[in-house]
Amino acid sequence: MSRPLRSVLSWLVLSPLMAVTLLPFAVMIATALKPHDEVLSYPPTWLPRRLAWENFRDMWDTVGFGQAAFNSVLIAVAATALALAIAVPAAYAMSRLPMKGRGAYRQFLLVTQMLSPILLVLGLFRMAAAIPFGDATMADTRLGVIIVYAAYHLAFAVWMLSSYFATIPADLEEAAWIDGASRGRAVLSVFLPLALPAIAVTGIVTFVASWNEFTVALTLLRDPSRLTLPLKVVNLVAGRYSVEWNQVMAATLLATLPVAVVFSLLQRYLVTGLTLGAVK
Amino acid sequence: MLILPSLLLALGVIFYPFYEIVRLAVSDVSRFGLVRGFSGWDNFNRVAADPVFLDALVRTLVWTATVVGGTILLALPVALVLREDFWGRGVARTILMLPWSIALSMAAVVWLWAFNADYGMINATLQHWGLIDKPLHWMARPETAFPVDVGIGIIVSIPFTVTILLGGLSSIPGEIYEAARIDGARPWQSFWLMTLPMLRPFMNIAIVLNVIHVFNSFPIIWVMTQGGPDNRTHILVTYLYELSFYLGRPGPAAVVSLVVLAIVFSATAVYMWLREREA
Repeated sequence: MSRPLRSVLSWLVLSPLMAVTLLPFAVMIATALKPHDEVLSYPPTWLPRRLAWENFRDMWDTVGFGQAAFNSVLIAVAATALALAIAVPAAYAMSRLPMKGRGAYRQFLLVTQMLSPILLVLGLFRMAAAIPFGDATMADTRLGVIIVYAAYHLAFAVWMLSSYFATIPADLEEAAWIDGASRGRAVLSVFLPLALPAIAVTGIVTFVASWNEFTVALTLLRDPSRLTLPLKVVNLVAGRYSVEWNQVMAATLLATLPVAVVFSLLQRYLVTGLTLGAVK
Repeated sequence: MLILPSLLLALGVIFYPFYEIVRLAVSDVSRFGLVRGFSGWDNFNRVAADPVFLDALVRTLVWTATVVGGTILLALPVALVLREDFWGRGVARTILMLPWSIALSMAAVVWLWAFNADYGMINATLQHWGLIDKPLHWMARPETAFPVDVGIGIIVSIPFTVTILLGGLSSIPGEIYEAARIDGARPWQSFWLMTLPMLRPFMNIAIVLNVIHVFNSFPIIWVMTQGGPDNRTHILVTYLYELSFYLGRPGPAAVVSLVVLAIVFSATAVYMWLREREA
């Protein structure tokens, strides 16, 4: 089959799914740019008659988008940093140091990876409410959410990092020891630079997962000033009779855009990294 | 020593809550979570007699089977097409991976708006094409609300599944197709006799991981229907959440948690067994 013909056929086969995939993004953009009265006009149309950029400004104030974005960034960055700080040494040990019970540890990781927080949500909430923190408890604190996220991403991070670390030849570090470097120094100046791509991929996946997470945040966070973006957006819709859809879509668009851009740019690396981690 | 912190954190955040749930399941608990004493199998009996629970259990199986089945049926041809070399393949891949980047909860909000009866673009488009003559109230009736939930479940599962299958397809060497063609094999024969069998391990892993994800999937149904209308879109995890935090029945909620955990552990055991066998 010639290339032009194959291209046309391929796009034809993919187009229905593409349309469904792009539909929510089209709806998001179209509604986010419509003025309020046009959103609730019947019958609805795709294109706005006038671009209502003020939706973003209005939404910023009514939603408290700045504070929510700050919370989301804070929680996702801290959870990613905590998960990596714990996972990198563990993965290094898994791939380099001989130790007893490595097999058992692998099984343990696999089992924890299967557990989604929703299954233990009741216990998590009770645990957070039982740990004193300041003059209250860990429930309704961002720190509580950070710790839970880090814990649930740990298995994935150790798993992915250790399968990548195993592909870095140990000879390089051994050569550094012979040249008189200490074990720690060899790790810092030889191993870590080589491991950086894997750490970056793992970090990005953890960050995006924390950024998008809903269930744990819904359970632990109550105070409006501490809510993350997904919660804010859902709260604008859930259980309300009149919803400002243009503002909701503006908020959703603004929250999704950075992640979508990062994702499209890094998609190739993520895909290879994930397949390595998931299958090998 | 290097793995100790990871063990401690995982143990703390997974096993303590687990212990709490077991304790709640066998206790008489007030609606504010106060444990009032041991109650044996009371909570278990109450859950077993709860029609909403039984209904949700069956619906969870339907939900998991239809979402995972639909995902695999759609993802396989997509992965096969994306393996071919054609113009714009990079663009096509990026577009199909996009749903991965939007939070499930926010995707659900957007779809909820798209399915809005009066002002949603889905009714508008269907009417424009003449497929329906008046707006459908999709989310107001369980007969349409649940299939909508399932459809969205499928759409958001496709990127991950296509990724795994593409990884599998790229591990099949191209030469064997060449050889088969020279030996006179037709395209469908090489698909049926070579591609599918060689893709089997990847299909298995994609199915098991999807089963676990979909089974645990909470945001879509919670945001779109909250288990309603009339409790007829609940799956186990949404019912468990409603029992815990909205209906104030922690004891029965803990029992539902244990049931779900037992199912997930069985699925995990199957997954481990598959890994062992493929290795």
